[in-house]
Amino acid sequence: MNKHTITYRQLFFVIVQTQIGVGILSLPFSLFTIAKIDGWMSLLLAGIFVQFSILAIWKLCERFPQQTIFDILPKIMGGKLGVVFNFLYTLHFLFITVLILILYNNIVSKWIFFQTPGWVIIFTLAMVGVYFISSTPRELARFFMLVTPLLLVLFFFILYAYTDVHFLYILPMGETGFLTILKGSKDAVISLLGFDAALVFLAYTNGTSTKKLKVISFASLCVTLFYCFIIFTTYIFFNPMEIVIVPEPVLYMLKAFSFKIIERTDLIFLSLWVVSVATSFIGYLFVTVKGVQKILSLKHHKKAAPYLGIVVGIIATIPSSKLETLMWSKYIGMTSLILSVFSPILLLLLAAIRNKKEKEVISS
Amino acid sequence: MTFFKKPKKLIKENDQNKVSDTSCELESNVYEPPQTIEDLLKKVREPFSSTEDLRTHWVELASDKRKIALLFIDSIVDKQIIQQQILNPLFEMSKEIDTISFEKVISLDLKKQTDFTKSQELLLLSNTLIFTDDPSCYYSVVTPEKVDRDFTEPENEKVIRGSHEGFIENISSNVALIRKRLKSPKLLVKYFKLGKETHTVVAMIYVENLANPSHVKEVEKRLTSIEADAVMTPGNVEESIEDKPFSPFPQMLSTERPDRVAANLMEGRIALVYDSSPTVNVVPVDFFVFYQSPDDYNTRWILGSFFRFIRLFSFFIAISLPSFYIAIVSFHFEVIPSALVLLMKSSLENIPYPPLFEAMLMELTIELIREASVRLHTKIGSTIAIVGGLVIGDSIVKAGLVSNLMIIVVAVTAIAAYIVPSNEMSGAIRLLRFPLMLAAATLGFLGIVFCFMILFFHLCRLYSFGTPYFAPIAPFHFSDLKDTFFRMPFWKMNTRPKNIRPIKESQDNQTRKWDTDE
Repeated sequence: MNKHTITYRQLFFVIVQTQIGVGILSLPFSLFTIAKIDGWMSLLLAGIFVQFSILAIWKLCERFPQQTIFDILPKIMGGKLGVVFNFLYTLHFLFITVLILILYNNIVSKWIFFQTPGWVIIFTLAMVGVYFISSTPRELARFFMLVTPLLLVLFFFILYAYTDVHFLYILPMGETGFLTILKGSKDAVISLLGFDAALVFLAYTNGTSTKKLKVISFASLCVTLFYCFIIFTTYIFFNPMEIVIVPEPVLYMLKAFSFKIIERTDLIFLSLWVVSVATSFIGYLFVTVKGVQKILSLKHHKKAAPYLGIVVGIIATIPSSKLETLMWSKYIGMTSLILSVFSPILLLLLAAIRNKKEKEVISS
Repeated sequence: MTFFKKPKKLIKENDQNKVSDTSCELESNVYEPPQTIEDLLKKVREPFSSTEDLRTHWVELASDKRKIALLFIDSIVDKQIIQQQILNPLFEMSKEIDTISFEKVISLDLKKQTDFTKSQELLLLSNTLIFTDDPSCYYSVVTPEKVDRDFTEPENEKVIRGSHEGFIENISSNVALIRKRLKSPKLLVKYFKLGKETHTVVAMIYVENLANPSHVKEVEKRLTSIEADAVMTPGNVEESIEDKPFSPFPQMLSTERPDRVAANLMEGRIALVYDSSPTVNVVPVDFFVFYQSPDDYNTRWILGSFFRFIRLFSFFIAISLPSFYIAIVSFHFEVIPSALVLLMKSSLENIPYPPLFEAMLMELTIELIREASVRLHTKIGSTIAIVGGLVIGDSIVKAGLVSNLMIIVVAVTAIAAYIVPSNEMSGAIRLLRFPLMLAAATLGFLGIVFCFMILFFHLCRLYSFGTPYFAPIAPFHFSDLKDTFFRMPFWKMNTRPKNIRPIKESQDNQTRKWDTDE
């Protein structure tokens, strides 16, 4: 029995959990700064863009069944260039994990632990990640599935906001114009990142090709709608003048609610949100460690895991000021756009032109 | 062949030589049977050197002065059986004795043996060996001494309704208790002998048309790979064959209840019955098996489901309540309503210690009381409980070492930890709350969340004989939820748990056919 494969249903949860992450909290704010109250439309638009990338990723992986991006790259590019690109992609994924750590540290040190040194918060998550990635994709998928109900809890928390919303805040729709909405969708696409984990996880997935595509697309659709719901809710909860001054609208919104038993809902929300962050961190860390395994041609990726965790943790402690963090997220966001969103399409074209294709090897 | 050769699989070829080297004079490939009965006896007695409970009893037949020797180990045979089944018939028919009538009359259990290498083992298994003047063969009769206790209800697995029988320290009685419940020809029993010196007998029991053959093979493989001088307790075997010895969670169900074992066998699991131990292990198991009690199936199903909820809820309480308390008190007092904050503050104000120390102190005290009362007589045990629980609990608050609330938290946690109907699981839970408390004291809710993540991921990657331990939650099997979170009515349980991949999945619970309204 091969313990590495996952079912296409499990792939759904892997993609969903990798996609939903740090973005939940700050996305409404960052979209508002660009597209104003039409930010939610930007997100929907981004969801459509992402579908193209997903289609490309799926087609690419279909050409090379049971192979990860790190196996595929040398085959399309040829030996030496392939190694360079493998390195590039591994570095890219590594920096995404670093970015997740940085943003997570930002939120946590702002909302829960004001005085705890950043490296403690960062390394805790990094070490948890190390434990997780020393396993197989199947075990990861099982865990991701296990924690998915937590998203429903988050959903219901936010749903509570509808006791005090004003739908008029969202009007007039489309006031900012299509170009602004389009501009906003760039940021939205970055927050939807996570579907690119399919570049690796597709290799382990069982099931027919069409089912895989359906599952990834559906996962991305769910996440897009979930994000859209959150953004929409915050936009009708706060009036447009307020959002400008609340960088984490979701948390400010929840902070206002208090029940008979729980006084500060936002703290509970944050605790559950950490799980989502951790899953996307783990998803990317697994992708990265697979790249490291390929580059160093290790027999098992387990060996690289602790070193990778330490490296990621150390890099994440580098940015010290808020400005630096912004810079990092800007640059990493840009490289993500190029390497995760556009380049699968280019790679697919390249593979089609050079007519690289492989038959499925039926493994026993 | 060697004198030590036994029909067992656990000693590999090369080790057989190693063992027989120690008794070199007996080891000879061209073994010639000795000619006289005395020589024969000497040879058989040889490996036992000079133990005094190995007795030879000479019988002289009245008719032709022929001598017959009975050989047995005094301490483990029932002399009454020997008298009734061997000696009495011998004397009655001593006039016209010959080989044929000898075999017919003496006993139901009489077996003619020609393999002298087996004699040692037979003796150790409470056989009486009979040597006649024919040096080419001997006879064996099973004459075990029966000193069993009653099938009393196990102390640590009591039920309100249901069978009150429990396993005892005798393997054949235990197997009989299972057979009594499953009168199926498909119930297979396979014996293994473990321990080069102890020869502990282990029976592997499963239902042939239910248990997955791959699991049967796996259990067999792991059992036969045990090579040790002494395999004394089920614990030895458990640690030798479980998947992850470093996990805090038990990967085999230990129970002393035959009904629990029978029910699990009918789900396609495998039972391991040990000689001289009332504990029976069931494999492969998942996490939720530890939360099922025979009581659930005898109460009404709604109530049964309620008990399940309570038990699973107790898992979370027992693991995390002290850590939640610590986290709230030290970091997140904003979470609780302001009225309660005042209450907490007033109770905590005069406590000199940090909450973690308070909690550790109380948890350890509870563990001390538990450990002390386990070993003691019931009457003294209750005294200890009163002294420990009431006196310490009351005066520690008055002395101002620990807060009121902490006592409540610790008490609830202690009760919750003992709700699990499995001692091993309860132990695992009690142990796990310490790291959680530490994490809560360092990182508050965040620490608890990370600890729970690690805990659940550990459960996700744990396997019991190749089957996922945390099924049916991860991997998720919807239909299997009927006997985990809920206890669905009997007529709803139409399939066996998918997780252990039984050969026959449907359970054919076709009842209530008379009820046409449904």
